[in-house]
Amino acid sequence: MLPLSIKDDEYKPAKFNLLVKVSGWFRSILADKTSRNLFFFLCLNLSFAFVELLYGIWSNSLGLISDSFHMFFDCTALLAGLAASVISRWRSNDSFSYGYVRAEVLAGFVNGLFLIFTAFFIFSEGVERALEPPDVHHERLLPVSIAGLLVNLVGVFVFQHGGHGHSHGEEGHGHSHSLFNGSVGHGHSHGGHSHDHSHEAKHGHSGHDHGHDLGHGHSHGGHSHGGHSHDGHGHSHEEPHCHDDHLHTPGKGSSKQILQGVFLHIVADTLGSVGVIISAFLMQKYDLMIADPICSMLISILIGVSVVPLLRESIGILMQRTPPALDYALPECYQRVQQLQGVYNLQDPHFWTLCTDIYIGTLKLLVAPDADTRWILSQTHNIFTQAGVRQLYVQIDVAAM
Amino acid sequence: MDDKYSSNVISGGKLGRVDVPDAKLTRYVILLLVTKLLKAVGIFESYDLLKVVHIVQFLFILKLGCAVILLFFQKPFSSGKMVARTQWIKILKHAVISSVISLLGFFGLTLCGPLRTLLLFEHSDLVVICLLSVLFTNSGGGPSKTRGAAFFIIAVVCLLLFDNDDLMAKMAEHPEGHHDSALIHALYTGISFLGVADHKGGVVLLVLALCLKVAFHMHSRKLSVEIGGAKRLYALSNLVSSVVLLPWVIVLSATTENKVESWSSLALPFALVVFSIMILDFYVESICMAKLEMLRCARYGSTFLFLSGLLLANFWTHPLTDQLRAMSKHGQQAGTEHVLSGGVLVSACFFVMADGILSSPSKKGQKGTLVGYSPEGMPLYSLMGDALQHSSQSLPRFIKDSLKQILEEYDSRQIFYFLCLNLAFTFVELFYGVWTNSLGLISDGFHMLFDCSALVLGLFAALMTRWKATKIYSYGYGRVEILSGFINGLFLMVIAFFVFVESVSRLIDPPNINTVMLAPVSVGGLLVNLVGICAFSHAHSHGASRDGCSSHEHGHSHHGHGTGEHGHSHSHSHGGHGNSHGHGHSHNPGGRGMNANMRGVFLHVLADTMGSVGVIISTVLISQFGWLIADPICSLFIAALIFLSVIPLLKDACEVLLLRTPPEHEKNLNIALEKVQKIEGVLSYRDPHFWRHSASVIAGTIHLQIMSDVVEQRIIHQVTAVLKDAGINNLTVQVEKEAYFQHMSGLSTGFHDVLAMTQQMDSMKYYKDGTCIM
Repeated sequence: MLPLSIKDDEYKPAKFNLLVKVSGWFRSILADKTSRNLFFFLCLNLSFAFVELLYGIWSNSLGLISDSFHMFFDCTALLAGLAASVISRWRSNDSFSYGYVRAEVLAGFVNGLFLIFTAFFIFSEGVERALEPPDVHHERLLPVSIAGLLVNLVGVFVFQHGGHGHSHGEEGHGHSHSLFNGSVGHGHSHGGHSHDHSHEAKHGHSGHDHGHDLGHGHSHGGHSHGGHSHDGHGHSHEEPHCHDDHLHTPGKGSSKQILQGVFLHIVADTLGSVGVIISAFLMQKYDLMIADPICSMLISILIGVSVVPLLRESIGILMQRTPPALDYALPECYQRVQQLQGVYNLQDPHFWTLCTDIYIGTLKLLVAPDADTRWILSQTHNIFTQAGVRQLYVQIDVAAM
Repeated sequence: MDDKYSSNVISGGKLGRVDVPDAKLTRYVILLLVTKLLKAVGIFESYDLLKVVHIVQFLFILKLGCAVILLFFQKPFSSGKMVARTQWIKILKHAVISSVISLLGFFGLTLCGPLRTLLLFEHSDLVVICLLSVLFTNSGGGPSKTRGAAFFIIAVVCLLLFDNDDLMAKMAEHPEGHHDSALIHALYTGISFLGVADHKGGVVLLVLALCLKVAFHMHSRKLSVEIGGAKRLYALSNLVSSVVLLPWVIVLSATTENKVESWSSLALPFALVVFSIMILDFYVESICMAKLEMLRCARYGSTFLFLSGLLLANFWTHPLTDQLRAMSKHGQQAGTEHVLSGGVLVSACFFVMADGILSSPSKKGQKGTLVGYSPEGMPLYSLMGDALQHSSQSLPRFIKDSLKQILEEYDSRQIFYFLCLNLAFTFVELFYGVWTNSLGLISDGFHMLFDCSALVLGLFAALMTRWKATKIYSYGYGRVEILSGFINGLFLMVIAFFVFVESVSRLIDPPNINTVMLAPVSVGGLLVNLVGICAFSHAHSHGASRDGCSSHEHGHSHHGHGTGEHGHSHSHSHGGHGNSHGHGHSHNPGGRGMNANMRGVFLHVLADTMGSVGVIISTVLISQFGWLIADPICSLFIAALIFLSVIPLLKDACEVLLLRTPPEHEKNLNIALEKVQKIEGVLSYRDPHFWRHSASVIAGTIHLQIMSDVVEQRIIHQVTAVLKDAGINNLTVQVEKEAYFQHMSGLSTGFHDVLAMTQQMDSMKYYKDGTCIM
């Protein structure tokens, strides 16, 4: 029953057949709504870029060619998102023991960085143009940018919809986004069991009672679980949701980060097209040559500002920051753990985010030599599971006499 | 409460004044505001007056009017004690000096215009004293005051350098326009002797006059006590100075022809000026000094004054105001107003900030709370909490500290020196570009500056890596260097992409490149970058040789790294040293001589070097053979090279960020896990996760199922030792005895599973945990 791991001497990747692999990718792309959307939009974008490139080469217009390359560059963001959404569903193996779920965070980060680069380039170009307004010939620019705008609007619509669906999904799988909230708000809706329990645990004396009871129960076998049912009950209410989550999040693959990054990118592109159209209009009608650089500077600032939260969040995750969602919950948990009978001290607590809403923690407990380590272990797990920590590793060190 | 007490202390400890309600204070503040506004109006008006009236006459009229009014109000002769002869002499001196200073000030006004005069001359004494004490003594009053002084100096420099006043150009055309007196002529020659333009001379003059004014006020304080009050002294001094100025005015009006058509039309403006500048300001300020705190008074006063000055400068020449002042129409000099330039605005902002900072109460003894009074009647304060801690970090100190930190470590020192070199080159290029007005050089300079950002990023990362772990970043900041390497790599990818795109577009349509200026610049860039490559690859080889060296030295090099993590897991990091000698790093010398950060920086420098080489080659080819196609081909080639060289870095960084088991430890880990399996008492293990957090920290977690009759502690120690051999230095082992139940409850699997398991356990009636499961 217990999953025993047996090691081969060397891990060998399976030999792969390209065709099988590609078809597998396709299947996995098409299996999920988000990646399907991403894929179709990528195709749309790519075809638009190709048409533009071909037309540019045919009509020998440098502007069109460079614009199409710009489109290709934009496609990299989509590509990164798509790749991440596929990769993040790969199974974990020996090398990547946590699986590839972090790919989504990484994709969000890369997208954010690209956006920052783009914003910077646009800004510097805007400054350059403001200092020395170039002669913009806008006959060809307008139709292209309108077409680009249309394409991007499709993207915005799709991904907003997707995002909407995502948010729906969020509500559906519910407590994934707010596992932490889940344990609080949830405790409310499912009766105050978990709450009660926590209150009791806070009382030193009742905690003591509890522990005693449990130890007793165990030695007597089955009866214990009756006595223990309070705890078990509170806990079990928690569990189905967590379980749900566990299945959902990797399966769904539609992480916040990827979607946010892609969406921001598309919005940035849309803004860019709108800016070009407005400035072309202004230049044509009113001869306001300054409109173009001002538009582009404004747009780049907008992009930069909107990207910052994404970047900050993903950098936090990549640097193994303690999850901000747990900032307030953790000290309380520490306190509760330290109030458990027999626990002397709590050392080296590390808590970090694996990917969206999956938190992992390790900590070391220094316990009294005569403490019931099993009980402490299970209680600690309970406490942190209520706070939303998915995987917890507790090393129990027995203090020297 | 604090405020009240501190105001109490400042005003000399008179207890009666403690309970002044706030509403009353606001009244005084509003009064001060109005006065300052009027004063600003007065100064603007007097600037207009000075265009038609000679400066000495103007001053004489001012002093005379003031003296008459004050004689009426103050009655200096009838009230108070008699003034002795020696005191009369002192008053005479006082009057002479004050009129000289006023002359200087008004002369500065004619040179600089009213707004600039306001900004420069109308600082409160306190501010100036504070400024001077910061500049010339050691006891400046902390870093914030230093900052204020720096702001002040920046503001003055802004006025001096960045203030492009059109009027100045006009005045420079006829600098001898209205020198009608010897004094003014002397001043003019003095200024031109200094070698600066009039307007700048005016700024210098005003600053000097300001300092003189403050010193004079300081010295006249004693005299005012002797005479019997500052007001009496003021009245007497005005009277005397008008008497002193009288002969000069007579001589002047005799020798020079009068420009003024009708004195009657000037009566109203003069009255306004006399009232607002000389009398109202003096009285209100003295009242406010008494009622409010001195510092607050100074701060509000100067800020209001500057703001109203800015406002007036905007609207003074407006046609509407001209209509409003139609009855006092006198000026014919339309279009000779001083314009409101950007430099003035900037310096006004700086002046306001500087005044705010300099006149803010110093922290010494004021943040403390009043405890009570000592038996001698001295107030006792308790300096708790914020009074002691509240010391803002001084900027120079901060720079010094971080410089020291940078120079401590080899990596960051290397980056820092190269950054300095690069920046120097860039600035030389920029300056040369600006000087020769070559757009190519300037844009290249900006490009270099942009490249420097990668270096700055690397430097910052190298600094940040050494920060201590905090509660929030519990593993420390070691990952920053990987992130920075990743960002640098991505950055290079983007650059390569753009170079690629541009070269493609050039292939299609080869532009005409003027190769004149390009070659020397790129050679210079190449040299700089070669230095960088030498430095960084030296670091590389150095690191590698260390890696290959005897294990002892290696341990040293790792000691430096490990210090960050030293703090939070003392025993572990130590163990890590001992063991890492023998084992783990035999794999290292291959590719991982440097950390990701250094690799990123190195690659960046390498890419730049390749770019310069490419430019040089293509320049040679173009100039020698006329192959215009060489340039895009070179760039294509370079882009491909950059691309290829970045990929390994990106791959490594991605692996680390995706929490891969460190490849160089993988084999060891597998062996170690087998060993763990074989330890006596271990049933199995589960969820082994090992990942590299940073260059020096490899974290790991593992679940162990053990038999119930073995000592957990021993197993934990054995497992830790085994895995430490394999290179894991931050390990958490969770030992589970009754494996199944712990697994279920701990890992939050379904409720039903737990139930089922419970039933199963019931039915099995097992007493020995764990063993049954097998």
